[in-house]
Amino acid sequence: MNSQVPLAWLNLTHDRRKLAIAIGGVAFAVILMFQQRGFNDALFESTVAIVRELDCDLILVNSSRFALSNEVRFPTSILQMVASMPGVEMTEPIFVENVAARLRRSTGPARPIRVFGINLEKRVFLDGSQDIRSQASKLRHPNSALMDRLSKSHYGFALGAQDGLPQTGELNGKAIQVVGTFENGCDFANDGNLLMSKESFSSYFGYRALDPLSVADLGIVRVARNQSVLEVAKRLRKAFEKDEVAVLTRQQFIDKEIRFWSQNTPIGPIFMVGVIIGFVVGVIICYQILANDISEHMGEFATLKAMGYTNRYFFAMVIRQAVYLAMLGFIPGLLFSLALFKLNSSLTGLIMRMTLPGAGLILVATLVMCIVSGLLALRKLLTADPASLF
Amino acid sequence: MDLESLISAWEPHEDALSVDVDHLDHFYGSGDTKKQVLFDNCLKIYPGEIVIMTGPSGSGKTTLLTLIGTLRNVQQGSLRILGHELKGVNQDDSNILRKSIGFIFQAHNLFESLTAFQNVQMSTELQGIPMDTARPKIDALLTRLDLGKRIQYKPKSLSGGQKQRVAVARGLIHQPKLVLADEPTAALDAKSGREVVTIFQELAKEHKSTILIVTHDDRILDVADRIVRMEDGYICSNVLVRRNALTCKVLHGFDIFKSLTPQVISNVAEKVKLKRYAAGEVIIQQGDVGEEFFVIGMGEVDIEIDGKQIKQMGQGAFFGEKSLVENQPRSATVRARTQVACFVLSKDAFQSAIESSATFEEELRKAIFTRR
Repeated sequence: MNSQVPLAWLNLTHDRRKLAIAIGGVAFAVILMFQQRGFNDALFESTVAIVRELDCDLILVNSSRFALSNEVRFPTSILQMVASMPGVEMTEPIFVENVAARLRRSTGPARPIRVFGINLEKRVFLDGSQDIRSQASKLRHPNSALMDRLSKSHYGFALGAQDGLPQTGELNGKAIQVVGTFENGCDFANDGNLLMSKESFSSYFGYRALDPLSVADLGIVRVARNQSVLEVAKRLRKAFEKDEVAVLTRQQFIDKEIRFWSQNTPIGPIFMVGVIIGFVVGVIICYQILANDISEHMGEFATLKAMGYTNRYFFAMVIRQAVYLAMLGFIPGLLFSLALFKLNSSLTGLIMRMTLPGAGLILVATLVMCIVSGLLALRKLLTADPASLF
Repeated sequence: MDLESLISAWEPHEDALSVDVDHLDHFYGSGDTKKQVLFDNCLKIYPGEIVIMTGPSGSGKTTLLTLIGTLRNVQQGSLRILGHELKGVNQDDSNILRKSIGFIFQAHNLFESLTAFQNVQMSTELQGIPMDTARPKIDALLTRLDLGKRIQYKPKSLSGGQKQRVAVARGLIHQPKLVLADEPTAALDAKSGREVVTIFQELAKEHKSTILIVTHDDRILDVADRIVRMEDGYICSNVLVRRNALTCKVLHGFDIFKSLTPQVISNVAEKVKLKRYAAGEVIIQQGDVGEEFFVIGMGEVDIEIDGKQIKQMGQGAFFGEKSLVENQPRSATVRARTQVACFVLSKDAFQSAIESSATFEEELRKAIFTRR
């Protein structure tokens, strides 16, 4: 028992074929935008994925180390001093090898891979990383490692759910056994990731220093429960200001890493251009659809004008139509994008993830896109001349 | 009965004009291509009139209709509808005025996506009529137009005539004070067409709506109170046909006019005026210059010469002819005894009536001769 004729909705939906084309057009633009943003975020996400998994409040790193892939280390002994500072509950080094690790399974060239070495006795990763923590025991065997499921396949390892483990290969010419998998993702600098105990790490990368574990790449710090994280950070910074060690909260570290990649590579701008192109394509498609609908019904709209309908009514009607179109096109666009993300992830090893704020942003962009086209199409409607009806 | 309707048809209107076109000119184009399409149009229409506008294409009738409907701006002259001046009116006021108008266009322009009901609802919704009131009205009107079974159908399932009827319903559902219709019955069969004009008549009679119809459909000419004919931008004739027809009928009933051809009677009817006199009032005074010819429509009069009553006359009798024919001052005084209504022909009209009919002249001469 509607009190008003839902003209906007009915005009949009009554011709099924045209509606399908319209939804297709909007969905296409939505998919374009999602793809661009998805790649953008994935590239940055993969870089810091492992950092998000760390169970820590603060991270220490050499102050000259501008990115995780930049190999500048600091003495592990500093962490021993950190451990004794008030407010520090625990601290552990993390060892990372970016440049000099080469892996292959059997035949073919050995390819670069990133390797993490951690202390198995301590809780380094968050509770949620069941993957890693539950497999810790397997890593006690020397020369064993967990491999990132999303690593590129060119290493030769088969890491699907149905593939059998362990699988043997060669790391820097030395035998290695992949005994389990975890999920991280590839990024600009890495085609794959391995995780092993620090003891194993030491045995593979002896050239780092006389004692390979005497230089650390990252130091994680957990602050005691009743202490302020920022206070402790300030304290540490003051204590070690001469040692060229930067003290960052976990989030600051993540932000810094992402900021580096977004500012020092063209990634941000390139994908932003991509999103804008998707948006413009969407506006053009949407405009065509809405304007076409209006042209075909100029007589009807002119009749409404003759009856006394005002421009305000037409404005509201077109905006309503644009919003419906945006919503109807967004949903299939979103679903297709989810599927595409999975496909992309398996092809590129990047973690393409749909997030709520990300989807929200694209929804807003879609709405704006359709409303802009609606307003452009409205101009045509306003030219409908009732005098021509006689 | 006829006489009474006729006399009421002659009643001066108490209501304000619903359409007042006053020396209206209109031009299309500008500069070198400026072309005048309406020339000094004058037209006065009262509430309750059904007016048919006719004329060849290019005559300007549709231009005039669009101007009356606020769909074009008035350029020169004055045009008042429903009491509002349209020259210089702004868009907002125009839109408000349009809600008092019901348009019926030749092309139905129904929304394909809406049912017949919803297309009509677009009108009630604009008027702010709530659905509880509107729903039964729309159902009733569509049923009356023989669309009862098609109320929920969309245009693609309706025939051309059915679609036109939906458009008619949309234009009339809000009982507008002014209806502007362009060939409303062209696509309809006789029965539907008749139903549509019946609705027009009801609106005119019960709501004093003014109905302006542009049409070439001669099946519906009978409902017109007035026929306006345009040619080349001029209003070349503007005849109150209903009143004219009634007048003819009544006049034809009088002996003096009985022998006249319909064409002449029509001419006479067009030019004749009805004047009313109270009991005791002097109609013509002995000795005055005579300019008019009288036929008594109703009532009785006394003929007096030099103060003495010599004769009485009643309905159908005529007087005043001698002065017109013989160019002499009035030979007697005529005084109304009861309330009197007379048909009055001016000198020019009288002359043209005589000239056009030998029998009339003969009849008149015989009467003059016998009166002596």
